[in-house]
Amino acid sequence: MPETALEPQTAESAQSAQPAVKPQTTLRLLLRNKLAVVGLVFIALWTLGAVFADLLPYGATQPGAGGLLQGPTLAHPFGTDNFGRDLLSRVLAGGRISLWTGLIAIAISLLIGVPLGAFAGFVRGRAGGLVMRLMDMLLAFPSLVLAMAIAAAMGPGMVSAMVAVGIVGIPEFARIVHGQTLSLRERDFVEAGHAIGLPARSILIRHIVPNALAPILVRATLGMGYAILTAASLSFIGLGAQPPDPEWGVLISDGRGYIISGEWWMTTFPGLAIATSILGFNLLGDGLRDVLDPRLRTSK
Amino acid sequence: MKRTILAFAAVTALAVSGCAANANSGGSGKPDAGDTLVAAYSEGGKTLDPAEANDVTSDTFVVAAYDQLVTYGRTTDGAQPKAKTDEIVPMLAKSWKASADNTSYTFTLRDDAKFQDGAAVTADAVVKSFAHIKASSSASFLYKMAGIAKVTKTGEHTVKIDLTAPNHLFLQILPMYSFSIIDMDKVTQNGGAKWLANNTAGSGPYQITKWDPSTEATMARNESYWGAKPKLRQVDVKFIAEASNRVQLLRKGEVGLALEVPPKDVQSLKGSDGVVIDSRASNKILFFAMNNKIKPFDDPRVRQAVSYAIPYDKLLNDVMKGEASPMKSAVASSTPGFSDAGYTYSHDLDKARALLAEAGLSKGFSFDFTLGSGFDDWNDDAVLIQAELAKIGVKMNIKKMARPQFLEALDTRKVQSYITRWTSFVNDPGYHLGLLLTTQGSSNYANFSDPVVDKSWQQAATEPDVAKRNKLYGTAQQEINTKAPWAYLYEYNIVVAHRAGLDGYTSYPDGIVRFFQLSVTK
Repeated sequence: MPETALEPQTAESAQSAQPAVKPQTTLRLLLRNKLAVVGLVFIALWTLGAVFADLLPYGATQPGAGGLLQGPTLAHPFGTDNFGRDLLSRVLAGGRISLWTGLIAIAISLLIGVPLGAFAGFVRGRAGGLVMRLMDMLLAFPSLVLAMAIAAAMGPGMVSAMVAVGIVGIPEFARIVHGQTLSLRERDFVEAGHAIGLPARSILIRHIVPNALAPILVRATLGMGYAILTAASLSFIGLGAQPPDPEWGVLISDGRGYIISGEWWMTTFPGLAIATSILGFNLLGDGLRDVLDPRLRTSK
Repeated sequence: MKRTILAFAAVTALAVSGCAANANSGGSGKPDAGDTLVAAYSEGGKTLDPAEANDVTSDTFVVAAYDQLVTYGRTTDGAQPKAKTDEIVPMLAKSWKASADNTSYTFTLRDDAKFQDGAAVTADAVVKSFAHIKASSSASFLYKMAGIAKVTKTGEHTVKIDLTAPNHLFLQILPMYSFSIIDMDKVTQNGGAKWLANNTAGSGPYQITKWDPSTEATMARNESYWGAKPKLRQVDVKFIAEASNRVQLLRKGEVGLALEVPPKDVQSLKGSDGVVIDSRASNKILFFAMNNKIKPFDDPRVRQAVSYAIPYDKLLNDVMKGEASPMKSAVASSTPGFSDAGYTYSHDLDKARALLAEAGLSKGFSFDFTLGSGFDDWNDDAVLIQAELAKIGVKMNIKKMARPQFLEALDTRKVQSYITRWTSFVNDPGYHLGLLLTTQGSSNYANFSDPVVDKSWQQAATEPDVAKRNKLYGTAQQEINTKAPWAYLYEYNIVVAHRAGLDGYTSYPDGIVRFFQLSVTK
């Protein structure tokens, strides 16, 4: 099958399928990985910021919290924007929107992609081929362009941005799960399931999908960063968050006109927010992959 | 050996000085003999057909390549030249006479005017040009508004235009670029009116030698122009969408003139060497329209409440940085016949709350606001207004929309609220109100319908006496100001930024730069 040929790594990592690593062990191994810890710290910082954004003295959307276009000061560590809104409050509140967007988009990708991939891998044949060819078609589109088309068709707004980013992420998950399923379905424990007469659905849900969880988790973590970036891009061009919501892409878009005139903080801080949060998810995702793949683990 | 070195030195010196000369002329934005100009526009225009053009760039090329029968006079505002729109002066027509009942005008054409390929401008061309305007999709409404019934040739160089009734707008509309005189015979030879979209057949001071809407256009002086010879031999118009890029190029001197400079950049440009900011009050208005047919804006008290919630000072100072002035009537204050009777609004949230309570909405309400793209100040205004409305419990949901879709959406008249700007090229309340605020108005996207306004407007249309007419327009404005179909935001200044040494720029209500009036001196 061409899919398996394209996915040597996921096919290999299927080796990790059983016996599953205990969650406690995973966490301990993860914390031993320095880069993964850096990633976790970034994510934790933004998450805490998002949770406690409302505790800051200035609202994220109230004009006139400070003077207009003030550079970073003690009172406004990230400066203020052209309405005098406190940029720190806006960036933190923006984190809330961005993180939620990422989570919901990934959830959409997972909920649709995983069943599709598992189905295609399990039944194979014409139906499975059809599903995977559909996934290939989705994958063939440049993802941002596809997301733009979907968001534009649904009308601007954060909901359509989430759905658009979610749809764009479907084929990745479908392919991973498809590859996993193809390999798992030949394993002894699946054979055994068939032998004792378990229904196909139960084999798929109870035995195959749980064993494919590790690569899905890795992909979902890496995908978070990508989802945040795509959603910010959509907002940047006006298809995502609408004023006055301080989504990170919107903040950069707002500050864009002020780069040349010297108000660098309006774009720099939201830009750093996007960069560090994506870095965080990428580092964590890499760390998770190292931990969950026993081959990589023993080689360390 | 020595010779070679000397020769090499000479060549090097030449090369270096050559570079320096180029760099200098490039740096000042006036290469060569000071008779060319590079201008930066935000967009490239859509058509060159005078009867179909309706954006500033297209209009600019039409005004450069074509002449009209008559044109606006000029006056000065301090030392700055500006148009005098109530004075109509000869252009292709050297004189005209109205009949005693003002329903028929006879124009006598100049006999020395020629189209750019040499054909004479004759009465035939005028008759055919007017037929083209009448058949067009864009300018035909002006044709109707001017009340033109029939255009007939009465001699080789005389044309008689009959009106359906006396119409004070007729002579006001004729100087518009839409009423350009076209060499229609040439158009017919080239396959008809469609050819005009990409080509010109006028008698104007410039020929459009290159037009690529995505990058740039070039205008070359019409050396055999019948009128005063334009001082600039060539004008290059570069289309640069990003405002900050236009500002940067002007600052560096790579362009000599830039349009649509954002207010925040106007402030910084004012302090920069060799840049002149020409900022003038205009009749370009910006308003917040509320759809009178969609709840809760069908209740005038709700609309008035919104008008009391607008942070007017913030809009003028924080968003426009003073490059705008307060708007106090549906008609711009520079339009003859303006009246602010009935205008009582200021930023007063208590009054706004009281009006909402009166309308039974003391708990506030939520509504959709459509924000068209393309203008930074609209976005900023919307955000500020949204924050103020939130204080009186009104939730404004901003929905962004790309400009083409925005214009289409307005046309359906189902947009609940929006901000839009408007310039009446005919600086007259009859034209302005007729389009925007009468029940039948073609641009009355907010569905305002009021019998007092409709009646006064109708009476004024055929009223020959200026004072009586303005009184009727005053009544209409008072009614509109009270019923508040729009919250008035501001009147824009028209800002043209150019390098020092550029003279002759004249501001017109249509915001179009007439390049033939410009000259560059060092």
